[in-house]
Amino acid sequence: MRVPIFNDLYDAGSRLLGRAGDLVSGGILEQDVRLGVTGLRRAGKTVFVTSLVDNLLKAGRLPFLDVVSSGRFQASRLRPQPDAQVPRFEVEQRLAELTGPIPRWPKETQGISQLRLSMRYRPNAVLKRTVQPVATLNLDIVDYPGEWLLDLPLLHQSFAEWSALTLELAGRAPRDELSVSWRGWLATIDTAAPAEEEQARRGAALFTDYLHACRRSDNLLSLIQPGRFVEPGDMANAPLLTFCPLPGDRPRTRGSLWALMEDRYEAYKSKVVRRFFAEHFARLDRQIVLIDVLGALNSGPAGMADMKRALELSLEPFRHGSSSWLDWLLGRKIDRVLFAATKADHVASHQHNSLRHLLDRLVSDARAGIRFEGARVETMAIAALKSTETVVTEHEGRQLRCVRGVPLGRDRPTVLFPGEIPEDADFPPGQERPYNFMAFQPPADLAREARGLPHIRLDQAMQFLLGDYLE
Amino acid sequence: MSERTRDRHWVPPMELDPTRAAAVPAAEEEAIIAGPLAGPLSGSAAERLPALLAEDRPRSRFGRWLAGSVAALVLIALGFDTWDLFNRAFATSAALGVLVAAAVAVAGGAALAMLLRELRALRRLRKIEELRGEAGRLSTEIVTKAGEPGHAERFAGSLTRLYEGRPDLTPALERVRDHVTDAHDDAEILRLLDREVMGPLDRRAYQTVLRASRDTAVATALSPAAVVDLAVVLWRNLKLVREIAALYGARPGYVGSLRLLRRMLANLAVAGVAESAHHVAVEALGGSIAAAISTRMGQGVINGLLTARVGLTAMHLCRPIAFGPDNRPSMGQIRKELLSLPKQVL
Repeated sequence: MRVPIFNDLYDAGSRLLGRAGDLVSGGILEQDVRLGVTGLRRAGKTVFVTSLVDNLLKAGRLPFLDVVSSGRFQASRLRPQPDAQVPRFEVEQRLAELTGPIPRWPKETQGISQLRLSMRYRPNAVLKRTVQPVATLNLDIVDYPGEWLLDLPLLHQSFAEWSALTLELAGRAPRDELSVSWRGWLATIDTAAPAEEEQARRGAALFTDYLHACRRSDNLLSLIQPGRFVEPGDMANAPLLTFCPLPGDRPRTRGSLWALMEDRYEAYKSKVVRRFFAEHFARLDRQIVLIDVLGALNSGPAGMADMKRALELSLEPFRHGSSSWLDWLLGRKIDRVLFAATKADHVASHQHNSLRHLLDRLVSDARAGIRFEGARVETMAIAALKSTETVVTEHEGRQLRCVRGVPLGRDRPTVLFPGEIPEDADFPPGQERPYNFMAFQPPADLAREARGLPHIRLDQAMQFLLGDYLE
Repeated sequence: MSERTRDRHWVPPMELDPTRAAAVPAAEEEAIIAGPLAGPLSGSAAERLPALLAEDRPRSRFGRWLAGSVAALVLIALGFDTWDLFNRAFATSAALGVLVAAAVAVAGGAALAMLLRELRALRRLRKIEELRGEAGRLSTEIVTKAGEPGHAERFAGSLTRLYEGRPDLTPALERVRDHVTDAHDDAEILRLLDREVMGPLDRRAYQTVLRASRDTAVATALSPAAVVDLAVVLWRNLKLVREIAALYGARPGYVGSLRLLRRMLANLAVAGVAESAHHVAVEALGGSIAAAISTRMGQGVINGLLTARVGLTAMHLCRPIAFGPDNRPSMGQIRKELLSLPKQVL
C-alpha cells in the first residue's frame, strides 16, 4: 500500500511553514544556502569538507573564486548550525589531524553531519549593494553518505520489484561468489510459510554479510542497497533493518515470511528513506557528488562497471521530485550539481583532462537528465588536499610526467608513474594491469603557511556551486 | 593508429628513481622568474611563437612593388639632389660645403634613429598581436599534448617581459605567480592572467575612454566653429588611442598609431564593439532627443559616442589576451554618462 501523496503534502506543508519562519526571523537580511556533499565510501567527503572550510576561513588560495579575487570578500567564521538534531561536522579535530606534526588522513565520517559557515562580503550587484553594503551568506554544509542516495530509488519500487532486481544482480559475476551463502539459504526456505522472527533475522544477517563483502571486495563494488544495512548509524539491530529480498511472487497466505519482509521493507522506506528525503535531501540547494574514479580504475573493468551502475542509481533522485506537480509546493530544489573526480593529485597534472573526460562519460546519462530538469551540471577533476607534485623524469629515452609524494605507510618520497588514462577510453587496450594509483600521505608542514590547505580546483568548484550567491 | 604503435608508446605503471626527477615547468618557470631581468626584446619566447595574427588582410603584391619602387625612386632623386647641393655648396665656398655636409649628416642620423624607434614600437605592437593569437590558441585548445606542456608558462613569461618596468602591474604578476601551481593547465593559467593582470588594466582603460568621450562631447558642444571641433575630435581620438595602447604596454610610435588607426577604421564596424542595430538605433534616438534640446549638444553627444567606439576598438586591438564573451567592455555606461551630459551642462 502506498499513500505517498499525503506524506508529501505533509512534508511540503511543514517546509512552507519553515520558510515562512525564515522570512520573519531575518531571512531577508541573511541568505542561506545548503550545500550537500556526498559520495560513496572513500570518495573523500571528509577531507573535502575540511579543506573547503579551511580554505574559506583563510581565503588565501582561492584565485578562481570571484568574490575573493575581486577583493569583495571580508571574512568568514563558523557559526552554530540550524538543525540541532544533526551531529556537527567536527572540522577542528580533523584539521588538527591533517596539520599535526605527524599528518594523518582523518577518520571517515559515519552518517550525516552538518556545519554552518557564515561569509561576509560586499555585494557586486547594484540592487543588493544599495540595500546592504555588506551581505552575509550562511553556508550550511550537509555531509551524508552516498549510500543513502542509493536508497532513494527504492521509493518507487515495490518489494517484489526490488527483490527481483537485487537477486538478478547478486547472481551475476563478480557478486555471485560473495552471495553464495545467502542465496543458498534462500533456496532452503519457503516464503509462504508462517513468519518466524528467527528466520527473518537469519536472512537479514546473511544478506548484510553479503553487502559487507561487496563493499570490502577487491573490485570495490559500489552498488550497495539498502544503504543502512552497512551504515546503520543509530539503527543497528532495529527490526527495520531485518529483512532481505525474497525470490518468487507474493504468496496468498497471510502472515507469511514474505508478508513480514514486505512490511518491513515498506517501513524502511517510510521511516528511513522518506525521512531522509524530506528532512535533508529535499532541502538542499546545491549538490556536489564526489566520485573516486581512480579507485574504480584501479580495480579494473568490473569495478568500473559496478560504479557506473551505482552512479546511475544514485543520480536517479536528482531527477525525481523536481518535475512533479509538487515542485512549486516543495519550493526549493537543487539547481546546480557538480560531479567531481576526487584525488586528482594521484595523477600527473596533464592527465586531469583525461580524468575529466572519463567522468563525463560516466555521468553522461544522468547529466542529460538533470539538465533536462533545468539544473546546471558540471564535471571537474579536483583534489581537496594536494599531497603530491607533478615532476618530469626520464625513462628509456622518454620524458615521463610522474607524481612525487610520500606513499601511505612509508616515510620517504617516491616518484610514481601511475599509468596514463587514454583520452577516449577507460582502459588502454590490451593491458593486464594498466594502472597503479597509490594513496599518498598528507604533506608535512601544512600549518606553516596560514593560507588554507593546498588543493586542486577547489576554488573553481566553489565558484560553480556558490558563485552566484556571492555576487 | 595501429595496435602496435600504441603498445610501443605504452609504459607500464611503475615507481622511478626520485633523485632523477625534476620539477615540472623547470625551464618555463625559469623564464617567468628571469622575466623582469631579461632585456625587453632579447630573443623573447614570444618571438619564437608562430605569428598567427600578424596581418589580417593579405596585402596586394603589386601594391607592395609599387610602394617599394616609388620609395626607391624618391630616395634616388633625393640622393641626386643632395649630391648636387653638395657640389654647388663646395663650388661656392668650403665653409658652406662643410655646413651642408653637417646638416645632411644630422638629418640622416635623426631619421635613422626615428626609424629604429618606430621599428621597435612596431615590433612591440606585433608582439602583442602574437600574444593575442597564442592566448586564443591556448584557451581553446582543450588538451595539451603530453610531450609539450608549459605553453602557458611561456606565455606568462612573455607577458611578464612585456610589462617589465611597470610597477603598477608588478603586484598582480606576483599574485599570479604565487597562485599558479603545477596542477593548473594552460587555459586556467590564462584565465588567471586575464583576471588578475588584465582586469585592472581594463578598468583603467575604460575610465580613459570615458574621459575622452566626455572631453570630445563637451568640446564639440562648446566650440564656436565646426573646424575647431573637427580638429579637437581628431586630436583627442589620436591621443586616446595612444593612451590606451600605452596602458596595455604597446607604446606605439607615429607609424604604430597610424597603423592602429587604420586597423581600427577597418574594425570599427565589425569588431565586438559594434553592437546590434538596436543599440545603434537607441544611440541615434538618444542623440536626436538631445538634438531637440540643442543641436550642438546633440552633435557633442554623437561625437562622444564615436570617440567611445574608437576607444573601445583600441582596447580590443591592444589587449594581449582577447576579451572573452563575459568581460568585453560595453558602451552601456558611456552612453548613460553622455546622455546625462546635456542635463549637467544646461
